[in-house]
Amino acid sequence: MRRIALSVVLLFVTMPLHATVLLPIEFRELVTTAPVIVHGQVVDVRSEWVDGRRAVETFVTVEAAEYLKGNLGESFVFKVPGGQIGRYRTVFVGAPAFQTGDEVVLFLKTDGPSFPFLVGLSQGVFRIVTDTQSGRRVVTPPALVGVNSADAVRVVRGNPARRPVAIDVFRDAVHRALSEEPVVRRVLREGAMR
Amino acid sequence: MRRSASILVCLACIAAFAPGLDAYLKLGTRVSGRTVSLEWKQFPIRYFVMNRGVPGVTPNQFLNTIIHAFSVWESVEGVSLSSQFAGFTSAAPLDDDSVSVVGFVNRPDLDRVLGSTSFTIDVVTGEVVESDIFFNANFQWSLADTGEADRFDLESIALHEIGHLHGLGHSALGETELRAGGRRVLSAEAVMFPIAFSAGTTLGRTLRADDIAGIRDLYATDAFRQTTGSISGRVTKNGVGVAGAHVVAFNPANGKLVGGFTLSDDGSFVIAGLDPGPQVLRAEPLDDADIDSFFDPSLNVDVNFKPAFSTRLVVVPRGGTARNVEINVVAK
Repeated sequence: MRRIALSVVLLFVTMPLHATVLLPIEFRELVTTAPVIVHGQVVDVRSEWVDGRRAVETFVTVEAAEYLKGNLGESFVFKVPGGQIGRYRTVFVGAPAFQTGDEVVLFLKTDGPSFPFLVGLSQGVFRIVTDTQSGRRVVTPPALVGVNSADAVRVVRGNPARRPVAIDVFRDAVHRALSEEPVVRRVLREGAMR
Repeated sequence: MRRSASILVCLACIAAFAPGLDAYLKLGTRVSGRTVSLEWKQFPIRYFVMNRGVPGVTPNQFLNTIIHAFSVWESVEGVSLSSQFAGFTSAAPLDDDSVSVVGFVNRPDLDRVLGSTSFTIDVVTGEVVESDIFFNANFQWSLADTGEADRFDLESIALHEIGHLHGLGHSALGETELRAGGRRVLSAEAVMFPIAFSAGTTLGRTLRADDIAGIRDLYATDAFRQTTGSISGRVTKNGVGVAGAHVVAFNPANGKLVGGFTLSDDGSFVIAGLDPGPQVLRAEPLDDADIDSFFDPSLNVDVNFKPAFSTRLVVVPRGGTARNVEINVVAK
């Protein structure tokens, strides 16, 4: 009974805001890990057999508007798992899908001569969309935490402080992360997807 | 107490790979211009297991873990499901060979992915041709009952991936925190939450109300469906439908949380598999997650609104649907 009463109360409580947030740790790791960060538009999407026709991958061509880090040229191709050839579609659960015309900021890695790929699969994609109210082109910023904060920050859905922002604001966040001292990372220990 | 509080603060949500009007907790795909659920029509589901282990996990131990994870889903009351181990194989998961394979693979391009499930679908008939599950061999894995430091619990991840194999999408029923070094799961009210608990824990081995509602929605017997109910309605902002809103049903009688999403531009949602009786509904934006792991990009997801509750208690009828529930939200 006590648990039920508590749950009812908690359901209606507004979570406290953490107003001292500046740059996200997770976002900073994305920025430092990705050799290439690019804002651009998808101009072509095609699926092909790979690995001796054993698997299907999708190759996405992007026209770069601006590189925030690294450079792959005016246009480049990166790959994501899955895709459709003929009447058979291979769906890789949780992998992002792209359409011609998508405007995106991508965090990419490369591995030798292979095509670039997204850092952390769907975690390496920020989509720029039209805000239904204002009609502006906006991107949802990542969850934030203080740059030098030793305290953990609980992520609260609906936090009014985390509104969709213009690409300029997002770009500034990337540049600020790039200008910081390197962060010691515990690679692949936490935040792993499945 | 602290754990209870953490768990109860998290509010539910369910995901669908492709949007559809009633795509609660289910993966969907486009077939001949319409969205259909990804689900198995023939049983038992036959699968092969790769004859390759990793440090700490032999092929036989791996097999036993997979068999057990299948059995956990199959033992949900009211569900009609079965599976069959077809043998060991040297074939790898993620190969398109019309055979369902579960195994460890080294994939450097999936550097932060513990495991994943893939489907090959005939888009003309909607039939599932195969479904593979890959576990990332680059991680350290554990079989220990109480977990091992710095190793991920194989059973927890297997349970999650086999949920996908059955047709369940990701759930957003979890709470996380950011700290130096990354993001950590504080609590999860669904095995299908997409971010794993930290290495060393075995908290993901038990199905929750949200997982059970989802698997029942897909595979419950007709008789059992008559014992549960559903809610349908809309989430709106300024009178316009909100797509991609996370809607959570909270049962004050037993504390269960079950979630769903609005999966179309008109903001409509359906949450099925609920216990009959009063439910409290809450809508919230999925503004803390990479929404690509939840939705197809064709869905115009709106995350710019404040959480809101339904203005009335919703009573779910046994074997029926509480309809026309509306939750109005406002912009941040």
